[in-house]
Amino acid sequence: MISKELDRAGLPVALITAMYPVAEQVGASRIVKAVAIPHPCGDPNLPAELDAKLRREIVLTALKALQANVATTTVFAPEGRSRS
Amino acid sequence: MRLEMAEFSVREIRFSERFCYRDGVLEVDRNELARLVLRDPRIQAARCEIVSPGDAVRVTGIRDLVEPRLKASGSSQVFPGVLGPVAPVGNGVTHRLSGMAVLACAAYEGTIRAGTGVQRSAILDMAGAGAAASRFSTLKHLVLIVEISSGIAEVEAHGAIQKAELEVALRIAQTTRGAMPAKSEIFQSNAAERALPRVALVQGCLTDAQQGHSGVSYYGLPIRESLTTAIHPNELFDGAVTVNTTRCVAYSPTTWDWQNHPLALALYRAQAAGRLNFAAVLLERIAFENFHGKEVVAHSTAQLAAQMQVDAALVTWTGSGNAFVEVMMTIRALEERGIKTVLVTYEYGGKDGIDSPLLYYVPQANAAVSTGSRDRWIELPEAEKIIGPYDDIKVLSYPGAPKTPARERLTLDARDMIAGGVDNWGGRDWVCELF
Repeated sequence: MISKELDRAGLPVALITAMYPVAEQVGASRIVKAVAIPHPCGDPNLPAELDAKLRREIVLTALKALQANVATTTVFAPEGRSRS
Repeated sequence: MRLEMAEFSVREIRFSERFCYRDGVLEVDRNELARLVLRDPRIQAARCEIVSPGDAVRVTGIRDLVEPRLKASGSSQVFPGVLGPVAPVGNGVTHRLSGMAVLACAAYEGTIRAGTGVQRSAILDMAGAGAAASRFSTLKHLVLIVEISSGIAEVEAHGAIQKAELEVALRIAQTTRGAMPAKSEIFQSNAAERALPRVALVQGCLTDAQQGHSGVSYYGLPIRESLTTAIHPNELFDGAVTVNTTRCVAYSPTTWDWQNHPLALALYRAQAAGRLNFAAVLLERIAFENFHGKEVVAHSTAQLAAQMQVDAALVTWTGSGNAFVEVMMTIRALEERGIKTVLVTYEYGGKDGIDSPLLYYVPQANAAVSTGSRDRWIELPEAEKIIGPYDDIKVLSYPGAPKTPARERLTLDARDMIAGGVDNWGGRDWVCELF
Protein backbone atom coordinates (compact mmCIF):
# COMPACT_ATOMS: atom_id res chain seq x y z
CA MET A 1 0.00 0.00 0.00
CA ILE A 2 2.87 2.37 0.87
CA SER A 3 4.62 1.46 -2.39
CA LYS A 4 1.48 2.28 -4.36
CA GLU A 5 1.22 5.69 -2.72
CA LEU A 6 4.89 6.43 -3.49
CA ASP A 7 4.25 5.38 -7.10
CA ARG A 8 1.28 7.70 -7.26
CA ALA A 9 3.50 10.55 -6.08
CA GLY A 10 5.83 9.84 -9.02
CA LEU A 11 8.65 8.17 -7.08
CA PRO A 12 9.88 4.86 -8.53
CA VAL A 13 9.52 2.03 -6.00
CA ALA A 14 10.92 -1.49 -5.73
CA LEU A 15 9.22 -3.59 -3.06
CA ILE A 16 11.42 -6.37 -1.65
CA THR A 17 9.11 -9.02 -0.21
CA ALA A 18 8.93 -12.75 0.46
CA MET A 19 5.16 -12.60 0.07
CA TYR A 20 5.26 -11.48 -3.55
CA PRO A 21 1.82 -12.91 -4.42
CA VAL A 22 0.31 -10.55 -1.83
CA ALA A 23 2.25 -7.65 -3.34
CA GLU A 24 1.04 -8.67 -6.81
CA GLN A 25 -2.53 -8.72 -5.57
CA VAL A 26 -2.19 -5.25 -4.08
CA GLY A 27 -0.78 -4.10 -7.42
CA ALA A 28 2.73 -2.98 -6.51
CA SER A 29 4.67 -1.95 -9.63
CA ARG A 30 8.13 -3.50 -9.11
CA ILE A 31 8.37 -6.52 -6.83
CA VAL A 32 11.68 -8.13 -5.86
CA LYS A 33 11.55 -11.70 -4.53
CA ALA A 34 13.01 -11.85 -1.05
CA VAL A 35 14.40 -14.85 0.85
CA ALA A 36 11.91 -15.37 3.70
CA ILE A 37 9.51 -13.36 5.85
CA PRO A 38 11.80 -13.07 8.93
CA HIS A 39 14.92 -12.35 6.84
CA PRO A 40 13.96 -10.84 3.47
CA CYS A 41 17.36 -9.53 2.40
CA GLY A 42 19.66 -12.41 3.34
CA ASP A 43 19.84 -15.97 4.59
CA PRO A 44 21.33 -16.59 8.06
CA ASN A 45 21.57 -20.31 7.21
CA LEU A 46 24.31 -19.56 4.67
CA PRO A 47 28.00 -19.14 5.52
CA ALA A 48 28.76 -15.42 6.00
CA GLU A 49 30.54 -15.08 2.64
CA LEU A 50 27.69 -16.57 0.62
CA ASP A 51 25.14 -14.60 2.63
CA ALA A 52 26.99 -11.37 1.77
CA LYS A 53 26.90 -12.34 -1.92
CA LEU A 54 23.20 -13.06 -1.75
CA ARG A 55 22.45 -9.80 0.05
CA ARG A 56 24.37 -7.90 -2.62
CA GLU A 57 22.43 -9.68 -5.37
CA ILE A 58 19.12 -8.78 -3.81
CA VAL A 59 20.05 -5.11 -3.46
CA LEU A 60 21.42 -4.99 -7.04
CA THR A 61 18.22 -6.61 -8.32
CA ALA A 62 16.21 -3.99 -6.47
CA LEU A 63 18.33 -1.20 -8.00
CA LYS A 64 17.83 -2.71 -11.47
CA ALA A 65 14.10 -2.92 -10.83
CA LEU A 66 14.04 0.76 -9.86
CA GLN A 67 15.53 1.71 -13.23
CA ALA A 68 13.19 -0.50 -15.25
CA ASN A 69 10.22 0.94 -17.08
CA VAL A 70 7.22 -1.15 -16.14
CA ALA A 71 3.70 -0.89 -17.47
CA THR A 72 2.14 -3.39 -15.08
CA THR A 73 3.09 -5.33 -11.94
CA THR A 74 6.45 -6.97 -12.61
CA VAL A 75 8.33 -9.48 -10.46
CA PHE A 76 12.14 -9.43 -10.40
CA ALA A 77 14.03 -12.50 -9.11
CA PRO A 78 17.59 -12.13 -7.81
CA GLU A 79 19.99 -14.26 -9.85
CA GLY A 80 21.13 -17.54 -8.36
CA ARG A 81 17.94 -18.08 -6.37
CA SER A 82 15.93 -20.93 -7.81
CA ARG A 83 13.07 -20.81 -5.28
CA SER A 84 12.04 -18.65 -2.43
CA MET B 1 -13.19 -45.55 16.57
CA ARG B 2 -16.21 -44.93 18.78
CA LEU B 3 -16.39 -42.38 21.56
CA GLU B 4 -19.31 -41.88 23.90
CA MET B 5 -19.34 -38.38 25.34
CA ALA B 6 -21.37 -38.36 28.55
CA GLU B 7 -22.56 -34.91 29.56
CA PHE B 8 -22.83 -33.67 33.14
CA SER B 9 -24.05 -30.09 32.99
CA VAL B 10 -23.00 -27.65 35.70
CA ARG B 11 -25.44 -24.93 36.72
CA GLU B 12 -23.63 -23.91 39.89
CA ILE B 13 -20.11 -24.21 41.32
CA ARG B 14 -19.78 -24.01 45.13
CA PHE B 15 -16.83 -24.07 47.49
CA SER B 16 -17.10 -26.80 50.09
CA GLU B 17 -15.02 -29.17 52.21
CA ARG B 18 -15.35 -31.94 49.63
CA PHE B 19 -15.58 -32.75 45.94
CA CYS B 20 -19.05 -33.68 44.77
CA TYR B 21 -21.24 -33.44 41.67
CA ARG B 22 -24.98 -33.83 42.10
CA ASP B 23 -27.93 -32.53 40.05
CA GLY B 24 -25.91 -29.84 38.31
CA VAL B 25 -24.24 -28.55 41.47
CA LEU B 26 -20.48 -28.97 41.64
CA GLU B 27 -18.82 -28.71 45.05
CA VAL B 28 -15.07 -28.22 45.15
CA ASP B 29 -12.55 -28.05 47.97
CA ARG B 30 -10.45 -25.00 47.09
CA ASN B 31 -7.79 -25.74 49.73
CA GLU B 32 -7.25 -29.22 48.38
CA LEU B 33 -6.92 -27.85 44.83
CA ALA B 34 -4.33 -25.29 45.98
CA ARG B 35 -2.36 -28.06 47.71
CA LEU B 36 -2.51 -30.17 44.54
CA VAL B 37 -1.13 -27.35 42.40
CA LEU B 38 1.53 -26.27 44.92
CA ARG B 39 3.26 -29.65 44.73
CA ASP B 40 4.95 -28.18 41.63
CA PRO B 41 7.97 -26.14 42.81
CA ARG B 42 7.63 -23.88 39.76
CA ILE B 43 4.41 -22.52 41.31
CA GLN B 44 4.82 -20.36 44.41
CA ALA B 45 1.22 -19.41 45.14
CA ALA B 46 -2.18 -20.78 44.16
CA ARG B 47 -5.82 -20.03 44.96
CA CYS B 48 -9.27 -20.54 43.45
CA GLU B 49 -12.27 -18.26 42.88
CA ILE B 50 -15.66 -18.72 41.25
CA VAL B 51 -17.18 -16.38 38.67
CA SER B 52 -20.57 -16.70 36.98
CA PRO B 53 -22.31 -15.05 34.03
CA GLY B 54 -23.58 -11.58 34.93
CA ASP B 55 -21.08 -10.98 37.76
CA ALA B 56 -19.69 -7.44 37.54
CA VAL B 57 -16.13 -8.75 37.51
CA ARG B 58 -13.16 -8.54 35.18
CA VAL B 59 -10.83 -11.54 35.25
CA THR B 60 -7.16 -10.76 34.53
CA GLY B 61 -4.03 -12.76 33.71
CA ILE B 62 -5.92 -15.42 31.72
CA ARG B 63 -3.64 -18.00 30.08
CA ASP B 64 -6.02 -20.75 29.00
CA LEU B 65 -9.40 -22.43 29.60
CA VAL B 66 -10.10 -26.12 29.88
CA GLU B 67 -13.30 -28.15 30.18
CA PRO B 68 -13.08 -30.80 32.93
CA ARG B 69 -13.15 -34.28 31.36
CA LEU B 70 -12.55 -37.80 32.58
CA LYS B 71 -11.92 -41.05 30.75
CA ALA B 72 -14.55 -43.22 32.40
CA SER B 73 -13.95 -46.37 30.39
CA GLY B 74 -11.35 -47.37 27.86
CA SER B 75 -7.66 -47.97 28.29
CA SER B 76 -6.38 -44.43 27.81
CA GLN B 77 -6.99 -41.09 29.50
CA VAL B 78 -7.68 -37.51 28.50
CA PHE B 79 -4.77 -35.23 27.51
CA PRO B 80 -2.45 -37.97 26.24
CA GLY B 81 1.22 -37.02 26.16
CA VAL B 82 0.57 -34.35 28.82
CA LEU B 83 -1.27 -35.98 31.74
CA GLY B 84 -0.59 -39.54 30.62
CA PRO B 85 1.47 -41.56 28.18
CA VAL B 86 1.33 -41.14 24.41
CA ALA B 87 -1.38 -43.74 23.85
CA PRO B 88 -4.32 -43.74 21.43
CA VAL B 89 -7.41 -41.82 22.55
CA GLY B 90 -10.86 -41.26 21.08
CA ASN B 91 -12.39 -44.60 22.17
CA GLY B 92 -14.50 -45.63 25.14
CA VAL B 93 -16.48 -43.27 27.35
CA THR B 94 -15.45 -39.73 28.26
CA HIS B 95 -17.28 -37.63 30.85
CA ARG B 96 -17.51 -33.87 30.39
CA LEU B 97 -18.62 -31.17 32.78
CA SER B 98 -20.47 -28.88 30.39
CA GLY B 99 -21.36 -25.24 30.92
CA MET B 100 -18.19 -24.56 32.87
CA ALA B 101 -14.45 -24.16 32.50
CA VAL B 102 -11.34 -24.08 34.59
CA LEU B 103 -10.09 -20.58 33.83
CA ALA B 104 -6.32 -20.69 34.28
CA CYS B 105 -4.79 -17.35 35.30
CA ALA B 106 -1.12 -16.83 36.08
CA ALA B 107 1.20 -14.07 37.20
CA TYR B 108 4.22 -14.59 34.99
CA GLU B 109 6.68 -11.96 33.87
CA GLY B 110 8.53 -14.03 31.26
CA THR B 111 12.12 -13.95 30.09
CA ILE B 112 11.47 -13.06 26.43
CA ARG B 113 10.92 -9.33 25.89
CA ALA B 114 9.85 -9.01 22.23
CA GLY B 115 8.58 -11.03 19.29
CA THR B 116 6.16 -13.93 18.96
CA GLY B 117 7.44 -15.71 22.08
CA VAL B 118 6.51 -12.98 24.58
CA GLN B 119 4.13 -14.10 27.34
CA ARG B 120 0.67 -12.55 27.00
CA SER B 121 -2.47 -12.80 29.05
CA ALA B 122 -6.08 -11.95 28.35
CA ILE B 123 -9.03 -10.53 30.27
CA LEU B 124 -12.67 -11.57 30.53
CA ASP B 125 -15.62 -9.44 31.62
CA MET B 126 -18.59 -11.41 32.92
CA ALA B 127 -21.04 -8.51 32.39
CA GLY B 128 -21.49 -5.63 29.96
CA ALA B 129 -19.95 -5.02 26.54
CA GLY B 130 -16.91 -7.17 27.28
CA ALA B 131 -19.11 -10.12 28.15
CA ALA B 132 -21.12 -9.68 24.95
CA ALA B 133 -17.85 -9.82 22.99
CA SER B 134 -16.76 -13.21 24.36
CA ARG B 135 -18.11 -16.74 24.01
CA PHE B 136 -16.73 -17.55 27.47
CA SER B 137 -18.89 -15.10 29.44
CA THR B 138 -21.81 -17.55 29.38
CA LEU B 139 -19.87 -20.25 31.25
CA LYS B 140 -19.46 -20.76 34.99
CA HIS B 141 -15.75 -20.57 35.80
CA LEU B 142 -13.59 -22.08 38.45
CA VAL B 143 -10.79 -19.52 38.32
CA LEU B 144 -7.39 -21.00 39.15
CA ILE B 145 -4.90 -18.24 39.97
CA VAL B 146 -1.23 -19.18 40.22
CA GLU B 147 2.04 -17.30 40.59
CA ILE B 148 5.00 -18.66 38.67
CA SER B 149 8.32 -18.55 40.54
CA SER B 150 10.80 -16.01 39.20
CA GLY B 151 13.49 -16.95 36.68
CA ILE B 152 11.43 -19.66 34.98
CA ALA B 153 11.77 -19.83 31.19
CA GLU B 154 8.66 -19.70 28.99
CA VAL B 155 8.51 -23.37 28.10
CA GLU B 156 8.81 -24.37 31.78
CA ALA B 157 6.22 -21.81 32.83
CA HIS B 158 3.92 -23.28 30.21
CA GLY B 159 4.52 -26.75 31.62
CA ALA B 160 3.64 -25.54 35.12
CA ILE B 161 0.47 -23.68 34.12
CA GLN B 162 -0.76 -26.46 31.87
CA LYS B 163 -0.12 -29.20 34.44
CA ALA B 164 -1.91 -27.15 37.09
CA GLU B 165 -5.02 -26.46 34.98
CA LEU B 166 -5.28 -30.01 33.67
CA GLU B 167 -4.81 -31.61 37.10
CA VAL B 168 -7.43 -29.32 38.63
CA ALA B 169 -9.82 -30.08 35.75
CA LEU B 170 -9.25 -33.82 36.13
CA ARG B 171 -9.75 -33.69 39.90
CA ILE B 172 -13.10 -31.97 39.38
CA ALA B 173 -14.18 -34.33 36.60
CA GLN B 174 -13.51 -37.29 38.91
CA THR B 175 -16.66 -36.29 40.83
CA THR B 176 -18.66 -37.88 38.00
CA ARG B 177 -16.99 -41.29 38.19
CA GLY B 178 -19.69 -43.95 38.37
CA ALA B 179 -22.49 -41.41 37.89
CA MET B 180 -25.16 -41.66 35.19
CA PRO B 181 -25.11 -38.82 32.66
CA ALA B 182 -28.22 -36.84 31.79
CA LYS B 183 -27.38 -37.41 28.13
CA SER B 184 -24.71 -38.87 25.88
CA GLU B 185 -23.56 -38.32 22.33
CA ILE B 186 -21.81 -40.94 20.18
CA PHE B 187 -18.97 -39.91 17.91
CA GLN B 188 -18.10 -42.60 15.41
CA SER B 189 -16.68 -42.72 11.89
CA ASN B 190 -19.15 -43.79 9.28
CA ALA B 191 -16.73 -45.13 6.70
CA ALA B 192 -19.05 -47.75 5.19
CA GLU B 193 -21.65 -45.28 3.88
CA ARG B 194 -20.28 -44.31 0.46
CA ALA B 195 -23.35 -42.70 -1.05
CA LEU B 196 -22.92 -39.53 0.97
CA PRO B 197 -20.27 -36.87 0.33
CA ARG B 198 -17.10 -37.27 2.34
CA VAL B 199 -16.30 -34.00 4.09
CA ALA B 200 -13.04 -33.14 5.85
CA LEU B 201 -12.13 -30.39 8.27
CA VAL B 202 -8.90 -28.73 7.17
CA GLN B 203 -7.53 -27.03 10.27
CA GLY B 204 -4.69 -24.61 9.61
CA CYS B 205 -2.50 -24.21 12.69
CA LEU B 206 -0.16 -21.25 12.96
CA THR B 207 2.94 -22.46 14.74
CA ASP B 208 6.08 -20.51 15.61
CA ALA B 209 8.67 -23.14 14.81
CA GLN B 210 11.50 -21.18 16.43
CA GLN B 211 9.83 -20.75 19.84
CA GLY B 212 10.13 -23.15 22.78
CA HIS B 213 6.42 -23.84 22.50
CA SER B 214 5.25 -23.46 18.91
CA GLY B 215 1.66 -22.62 19.91
CA VAL B 216 -0.13 -25.87 19.02
CA SER B 217 0.76 -29.33 20.36
CA TYR B 218 -0.30 -32.83 19.31
CA TYR B 219 -0.04 -35.36 22.17
CA GLY B 220 1.98 -32.74 24.03
CA LEU B 221 4.53 -32.26 21.26
CA PRO B 222 4.62 -28.73 19.79
CA ILE B 223 4.02 -28.89 16.02
CA ARG B 224 6.83 -27.21 14.10
CA GLU B 225 7.43 -27.32 10.35
CA SER B 226 5.40 -30.43 9.65
CA LEU B 227 3.51 -31.26 6.49
CA THR B 228 -0.20 -32.01 6.75
CA THR B 229 -1.25 -34.63 9.29
CA ALA B 230 -4.50 -36.63 9.28
CA ILE B 231 -6.04 -37.14 12.73
CA HIS B 232 -9.33 -38.58 13.94
CA PRO B 233 -11.85 -35.99 15.18
CA ASN B 234 -12.35 -37.99 18.40
CA GLU B 235 -8.75 -37.26 19.34
CA LEU B 236 -9.69 -33.58 19.67
CA PHE B 237 -12.47 -34.41 22.16
CA ASP B 238 -10.02 -36.32 24.36
CA GLY B 239 -7.50 -33.47 24.45
CA ALA B 240 -4.91 -34.62 21.91
CA VAL B 241 -4.42 -31.01 20.77
CA THR B 242 -3.37 -28.43 23.35
CA VAL B 243 -1.94 -24.90 23.26
CA ASN B 244 0.81 -22.68 24.67
CA THR B 245 -0.42 -21.52 28.09
CA THR B 246 2.00 -18.59 28.40
CA ARG B 247 0.34 -16.79 25.49
CA CYS B 248 -3.39 -16.25 25.50
CA VAL B 249 -4.31 -14.13 22.48
CA ALA B 250 -7.88 -14.30 21.26
CA TYR B 251 -7.06 -15.35 17.68
CA SER B 252 -5.35 -18.48 19.06
CA PRO B 253 -8.07 -20.83 20.30
CA THR B 254 -7.76 -22.23 23.85
CA THR B 255 -7.69 -25.84 25.04
CA TRP B 256 -11.45 -25.53 25.74
CA ASP B 257 -12.01 -24.60 22.08
CA TRP B 258 -10.05 -27.59 20.79
CA GLN B 259 -12.02 -29.90 23.11
CA ASN B 260 -15.27 -28.39 21.83
CA HIS B 261 -14.27 -27.67 18.21
CA PRO B 262 -17.55 -26.33 16.80
CA LEU B 263 -16.81 -27.38 13.22
CA ALA B 264 -15.88 -30.94 14.21
CA LEU B 265 -19.06 -31.16 16.30
CA ALA B 266 -21.14 -29.69 13.47
CA LEU B 267 -19.75 -32.18 10.95
CA TYR B 268 -20.52 -35.07 13.30
CA ARG B 269 -24.07 -33.79 13.81
CA ALA B 270 -24.55 -33.40 10.06
CA GLN B 271 -23.33 -37.00 9.70
CA ALA B 272 -25.81 -38.16 12.36
CA ALA B 273 -28.56 -36.39 10.39
CA GLY B 274 -27.58 -38.42 7.32
CA ARG B 275 -26.29 -35.51 5.27
CA LEU B 276 -22.58 -36.40 4.91
CA ASN B 277 -19.69 -38.52 6.12
CA PHE B 278 -17.16 -36.83 8.36
CA ALA B 279 -14.04 -38.10 6.63
CA ALA B 280 -11.11 -36.65 8.58
CA VAL B 281 -9.49 -33.77 10.34
CA LEU B 282 -6.38 -32.57 8.55
CA LEU B 283 -4.02 -30.52 10.70
CA GLU B 284 -2.08 -28.22 8.39
CA ARG B 285 0.86 -26.32 9.77
CA ILE B 286 0.76 -22.77 8.39
CA ALA B 287 3.07 -19.70 8.56
CA PHE B 288 5.93 -21.12 6.51
CA GLU B 289 8.60 -18.48 6.15
CA ASN B 290 8.76 -18.43 2.38
CA PHE B 291 6.42 -18.88 -0.51
CA HIS B 292 7.82 -22.28 -1.49
CA GLY B 293 6.88 -23.67 1.94
CA LYS B 294 3.37 -22.28 1.61
CA GLU B 295 2.95 -23.83 -1.85
CA VAL B 296 4.15 -27.24 -0.67
CA VAL B 297 1.97 -27.44 2.43
CA ALA B 298 -1.11 -26.43 0.43
CA HIS B 299 -0.24 -29.19 -2.04
CA SER B 300 0.32 -31.62 0.83
CA THR B 301 -3.19 -31.02 2.20
CA ALA B 302 -4.87 -31.35 -1.18
CA GLN B 303 -2.88 -34.48 -2.00
CA LEU B 304 -3.84 -36.12 1.30
CA ALA B 305 -7.50 -35.11 0.93
CA ALA B 306 -7.65 -36.49 -2.62
CA GLN B 307 -6.05 -39.74 -1.50
CA MET B 308 -8.64 -40.03 1.29
CA GLN B 309 -11.37 -39.58 -1.37
CA VAL B 310 -12.62 -36.39 0.22
CA ASP B 311 -15.36 -34.62 -1.76
CA ALA B 312 -15.55 -31.36 0.18
CA ALA B 313 -13.77 -29.55 3.00
CA LEU B 314 -14.33 -26.88 5.59
CA VAL B 315 -11.13 -24.85 5.69
CA THR B 316 -10.29 -22.82 8.78
CA TRP B 317 -7.27 -21.61 10.71
CA THR B 318 -5.74 -20.25 13.90
CA GLY B 319 -3.54 -17.21 14.30
CA SER B 320 -3.01 -14.13 12.22
CA GLY B 321 -0.91 -12.53 9.50
CA ASN B 322 0.91 -14.28 6.66
CA ALA B 323 -0.37 -17.71 7.74
CA PHE B 324 -3.56 -16.79 5.91
CA VAL B 325 -1.71 -17.04 2.58
CA GLU B 326 -1.49 -20.82 3.08
CA VAL B 327 -5.19 -20.96 3.91
CA MET B 328 -6.08 -19.40 0.55
CA MET B 329 -3.52 -21.47 -1.34
CA THR B 330 -4.95 -24.61 0.27
CA ILE B 331 -8.40 -23.66 -0.97
CA ARG B 332 -7.00 -23.22 -4.46
CA ALA B 333 -5.17 -26.56 -4.33
CA LEU B 334 -8.30 -28.39 -3.11
CA GLU B 335 -10.62 -26.77 -5.64
CA GLU B 336 -8.20 -27.55 -8.49
CA ARG B 337 -8.56 -31.23 -7.54
CA GLY B 338 -12.34 -30.96 -7.63
CA ILE B 339 -12.74 -30.83 -3.85
CA LYS B 340 -15.32 -28.20 -2.92
CA THR B 341 -14.38 -25.85 -0.11
CA VAL B 342 -15.98 -23.48 2.36
CA LEU B 343 -13.70 -21.07 4.19
CA VAL B 344 -14.53 -20.26 7.83
CA THR B 345 -12.62 -17.22 9.08
CA TYR B 346 -12.75 -14.06 11.11
CA GLU B 347 -12.34 -10.76 9.29
CA TYR B 348 -10.14 -7.75 9.88
CA GLY B 349 -11.88 -4.59 8.74
CA GLY B 350 -10.28 -2.02 11.01
CA LYS B 351 -11.75 0.30 13.61
CA ASP B 352 -14.96 0.92 11.68
CA GLY B 353 -15.16 -2.33 9.74
CA ILE B 354 -14.46 -0.72 6.37
CA ASP B 355 -10.84 -1.78 5.76
CA SER B 356 -9.87 -4.84 3.73
CA PRO B 357 -11.39 -7.88 5.49
CA LEU B 358 -8.78 -10.43 4.40
CA LEU B 359 -5.02 -10.26 3.77
CA TYR B 360 -5.10 -12.33 0.59
CA TYR B 361 -7.59 -14.11 -1.62
CA VAL B 362 -7.77 -16.41 -4.64
CA PRO B 363 -10.60 -16.66 -7.19
CA GLN B 364 -11.18 -20.32 -6.25
CA ALA B 365 -12.34 -19.22 -2.78
CA ASN B 366 -15.97 -18.90 -3.81
CA ALA B 367 -17.71 -19.79 -0.53
CA ALA B 368 -16.84 -18.24 2.81
CA VAL B 369 -18.44 -17.88 6.21
CA SER B 370 -17.40 -14.85 8.25
CA THR B 371 -17.25 -15.27 12.01
CA GLY B 372 -17.14 -11.55 12.72
CA SER B 373 -14.62 -8.77 12.85
CA ARG B 374 -11.51 -9.03 14.96
CA ASP B 375 -10.33 -5.46 15.08
CA ARG B 376 -13.41 -3.32 15.66
CA TRP B 377 -12.70 -1.02 18.60
CA ILE B 378 -14.48 -1.78 21.83
CA GLU B 379 -15.13 0.22 25.02
CA LEU B 380 -15.30 -1.75 28.25
CA PRO B 381 -17.01 -0.08 31.21
CA GLU B 382 -15.40 0.09 34.62
CA ALA B 383 -15.58 -3.23 36.47
CA GLU B 384 -16.78 -3.52 40.09
CA LYS B 385 -14.23 -6.11 41.00
CA ILE B 386 -11.01 -7.64 39.67
CA ILE B 387 -10.37 -11.36 39.98
CA GLY B 388 -7.00 -12.67 38.91
CA PRO B 389 -3.31 -12.07 39.50
CA TYR B 390 -3.11 -8.56 38.03
CA ASP B 391 -4.69 -5.36 39.37
CA ASP B 392 -2.85 -3.40 36.68
CA ILE B 393 -2.60 -4.51 33.08
CA LYS B 394 -0.91 -3.47 29.86
CA VAL B 395 -3.46 -2.67 27.19
CA LEU B 396 -0.68 -2.39 24.60
CA SER B 397 1.81 -5.24 24.40
CA TYR B 398 5.06 -3.59 23.27
CA PRO B 399 8.07 -3.82 25.64
CA GLY B 400 7.85 -1.11 28.30
CA ALA B 401 4.21 -0.30 27.61
CA PRO B 402 2.62 1.55 30.53
CA LYS B 403 0.25 -0.25 32.89
CA THR B 404 -3.25 0.96 33.65
CA PRO B 405 -5.57 -0.07 36.49
CA ALA B 406 -7.47 -3.13 35.24
CA ARG B 407 -10.69 -1.95 36.91
CA GLU B 408 -10.94 1.23 34.87
CA ARG B 409 -12.92 1.85 31.72
CA LEU B 410 -10.78 0.44 28.87
CA THR B 411 -10.63 1.21 25.16
CA LEU B 412 -9.29 -1.71 23.14
CA ASP B 413 -8.29 -1.35 19.47
CA ALA B 414 -8.94 -5.05 18.75
CA ARG B 415 -10.55 -8.08 20.36
CA ASP B 416 -7.19 -9.83 20.78
CA MET B 417 -7.00 -9.20 24.52
CA ILE B 418 -10.47 -10.50 25.35
CA ALA B 419 -10.43 -14.25 26.04
CA GLY B 420 -12.94 -15.66 23.58
CA GLY B 421 -13.15 -12.30 21.79
CA VAL B 422 -12.22 -13.67 18.35
CA ASP B 423 -14.40 -16.50 17.06
CA ASN B 424 -12.02 -18.37 14.72
CA TRP B 425 -14.31 -21.35 14.11
CA GLY B 426 -17.77 -19.89 14.32
CA GLY B 427 -18.87 -21.33 17.65
CA ARG B 428 -21.22 -18.43 18.34
CA ASP B 429 -24.68 -17.67 17.02
CA TRP B 430 -23.86 -15.02 14.47
CA VAL B 431 -26.42 -13.30 12.33
CA CYS B 432 -25.79 -11.57 9.05
CA GLU B 433 -26.90 -8.09 8.09
CA LEU B 434 -26.60 -6.77 4.56
CA PHE B 435 -26.08 -3.04 3.98
